[in-house]
Amino acid sequence: MNWKLPFDIPLVVPTMGLPGWFFDTLGIIVFVVHIAFIYTLIGASTASVLYNITGVFKKSKTDDLLAYKMTNPTTISENMGALWGVAPLLVISVLYTGFFYTAILKVSPHILHIIYGNIFAFLLSYAYKFSWHSLHHHKGFHIAIGLVAVLTFYTLPPVFMSMSNLYLQPETFATVQNIWDMMLTPLTGFRLINFFLTAFSFTGIVMIYLGVKWVKAGGEDAEAGHLAIDQGKKWFMWAAPVNIAVLPLVFFAFSPRISEAYIHTPFVFAPFAASVVLTILFFFLLKRFGTSEMNLSDATKAVVLMVVAVALMATARHGIRVVSFEEPLKLQAEATEKYMNDVIAEYKAYKEEMKNAPAVVLDPAVSLADSKGCLACHSVDTALVGPSYKEVAAKGESADVLIASLKNGSTGKWGETPMPPQTLTDEEAKTLVEWVLKQK
Amino acid sequence: MFDFPIFEMPTIGLRMLMAINAIIHVFVSHGGAVGGSVVLALAAWWANKRNDMASYETVYRLLMVFFIITTSVGALTGIGMWIHANIISPNAIGGLIRVFFWKWFIEWIVFNFEVVLLLFWFMTWKQKALTPEGRAKSVRFGIFYAVSSWVTMLIITAILGFMLTPNFDGQPWVDPEVYPGNVNYNNALFNPTWFPGLAFRTFSSIAFAAALAIMWTWLITAFSKDEAIRNTREGLIKLFAKIMIVTVPVGAALGYYYLLQIPEAARAMIPTAMMTRAFADKMDLMYMIISGIGGAVVVTTIIAYFSPKRMPYIAATLMVSAFLLFWGYEERTREFIRKPFLIYNYMYANGIRVTDVPHLNKVGILKHAIFVDEEKKVIKEDKSNLIEVGHTIAQIECRACHTENGINGLKFLTKGWSEAAIRNRINNLPGGGTPYMAPFVGTEAEKDALAAYIASLNKRGEIK
Repeated sequence: MNWKLPFDIPLVVPTMGLPGWFFDTLGIIVFVVHIAFIYTLIGASTASVLYNITGVFKKSKTDDLLAYKMTNPTTISENMGALWGVAPLLVISVLYTGFFYTAILKVSPHILHIIYGNIFAFLLSYAYKFSWHSLHHHKGFHIAIGLVAVLTFYTLPPVFMSMSNLYLQPETFATVQNIWDMMLTPLTGFRLINFFLTAFSFTGIVMIYLGVKWVKAGGEDAEAGHLAIDQGKKWFMWAAPVNIAVLPLVFFAFSPRISEAYIHTPFVFAPFAASVVLTILFFFLLKRFGTSEMNLSDATKAVVLMVVAVALMATARHGIRVVSFEEPLKLQAEATEKYMNDVIAEYKAYKEEMKNAPAVVLDPAVSLADSKGCLACHSVDTALVGPSYKEVAAKGESADVLIASLKNGSTGKWGETPMPPQTLTDEEAKTLVEWVLKQK
Repeated sequence: MFDFPIFEMPTIGLRMLMAINAIIHVFVSHGGAVGGSVVLALAAWWANKRNDMASYETVYRLLMVFFIITTSVGALTGIGMWIHANIISPNAIGGLIRVFFWKWFIEWIVFNFEVVLLLFWFMTWKQKALTPEGRAKSVRFGIFYAVSSWVTMLIITAILGFMLTPNFDGQPWVDPEVYPGNVNYNNALFNPTWFPGLAFRTFSSIAFAAALAIMWTWLITAFSKDEAIRNTREGLIKLFAKIMIVTVPVGAALGYYYLLQIPEAARAMIPTAMMTRAFADKMDLMYMIISGIGGAVVVTTIIAYFSPKRMPYIAATLMVSAFLLFWGYEERTREFIRKPFLIYNYMYANGIRVTDVPHLNKVGILKHAIFVDEEKKVIKEDKSNLIEVGHTIAQIECRACHTENGINGLKFLTKGWSEAAIRNRINNLPGGGTPYMAPFVGTEAEKDALAAYIASLNKRGEIK
């Protein structure tokens, strides 16, 4: 295999003596929380715009209310999603530094879209939320703001997933040159389908849960609650069965090296287990499909099952990392050790050499010329931007002329490029010119 | 940098790419989050104590503005700092994360409190504003939010201080002659510029936030249709001006104290850092800029204090602009005076460690550039690819600060130079009045290639 791997950072990994499984578990947990919020962000922001539109066409106050109520989970999940995205990145960058940074560099500058695109979408989604009442009579414009925000949110997963697929498969570092090389692969396609299906099934469950709470609160909210429960069920019932089929396939779309090794690990059961949990949840909801009278305990059970399914997906994904990184991490450690041993040996030799070298005594005029920046354009014996000092001395101009040239600047004597006036005291100018004239 | 894939930002360069994100982040995190939380919590407490419900409502509107900007622009440019550092200096940020992982992790936990408290404070404000107990609770959310924002700054300034003064002398944070480098985490954390930097930033942030609050109070009260809201201008602006009268002098004094802790060599670069090399000696111009900014802040504060009701909008804008200039300069200077290092005495701005240099001078910088194609890194016998190889070297060693033909472009900087002149200059980069430049690293043949490439930039399109 043609491995191209950067060296590791030559500092110890600060594990504080904690075992590897601690960091694995930490990584999975923070990732599950992050992705749960991101799923909700995608689904809730979509629901809000959809019901805003239907509210206008059906002239339905309930639809409009549901649309407005969905902006709260959007605000919370966009904030918490961004926040919990930091922790997985932190864990990854300390443990798999070289692979993660290589992947990010390969998809640059497009990766910056997850910052700037996100800010744009964030601001629009706030504009959408906070202008709800003031733009009440300009629904077209209002919906357009929401729609652009949602569509911008949709552009973030493809960018991030391309980076993630690159980083999970270090063998691609040698061949992938830019983001499109990775975005337009079956793997990214499969994972994106899986992502959006999970996002809508997850949000479906969240909407059922919120709906049950709103129904309980009663009044106007209750109607929006029934609507939310119905929509939540529909989204889950559409997305989950397709996802059950797609999910196990995702893990065989990785490179042959990874997929083949993956089959021989217990991780291979994780995606199937996730499918089983989704199937159970499907039948659980099917039993309660006809009625919008769901109780809080049923809704809570649904949420728990959904979170379990997502955690199993995250475990399956972690398995890819375990399988994929074993060999390259070893290669990287060996290469880094060899390189660092060479470096340190050479550095020690250099220090020894410096210790024994005779001390150089600098002419104070040379230090002055250096500090005033003269040596940026002049050297003693080679013409640089300006003439060499030997040439200047050989020309035989008097000290006074040279002092004037220094202080006022000069052009024409040595070509077109002018020398700008220098800030010097008379004393300094004299010292410099006397030294220059000695260079003959 | 030499062993990661190469990413170039044409025209604006990597420095400017980072600076755009960094400056926006500093504006929002300092003025919006750290300072803003203190100022708004104080204002909410003040309005509630006086039972002044109109002012309390205006504070809510101010909080809405601060909420929108800090949670979107502020939080994401904060993550952006990482992503930008990842693609500009992977070796440096990778090293920093290895040294500061747990501190960053603690910061993330505190960051959770910060965001959740802000969400709570803002999203429950209306509901809690109805009763005195509710308002008291709400104000408490604000205070806790202010404390947690400050703690995140406490941690991040330790890392900034470490990059400038990592205690290499006397209290080493790592032994560069040992692999893998065993870090002394306490020496890294308790570096001499941590607390001075933190103290200076804390007070200047509160002052900046008060200036922003003055400007936004002006806007909100000017455009409100509600008479009661319009009448809150005088009281609130006076309150914010009082905050400034305390924090501006304290911040300035602490800033001076911070300056004294910076290493001599770094301090000497401040005039160059603030302007350009042409101004290296022009201390008077530097003092003029500083006193101009300071004067604008002082004068507008006095106007706000003595005439809060009739404070002209132009004065409020001038006040905020002065602060924006101040933070812009402060960040540019702090970043620049660390040059040629990214981590002082340990890693150069281009990601090459000081210990790497003797080895790389022997085997060449390109030997380990594994992501570069063979024809772009191995000089052919007939030297036909000399310029391409030189280009690769420039991408590895120069691109952190220079572009080809844009900001700080090599083409412009070497206009009229002969190839021999360029070659000579490469021999002595940190000398010749540019102490902020890292030395050339690599073999003599690589030096030739780099000189040939730089010389070729001004020859393009010339008829031979």
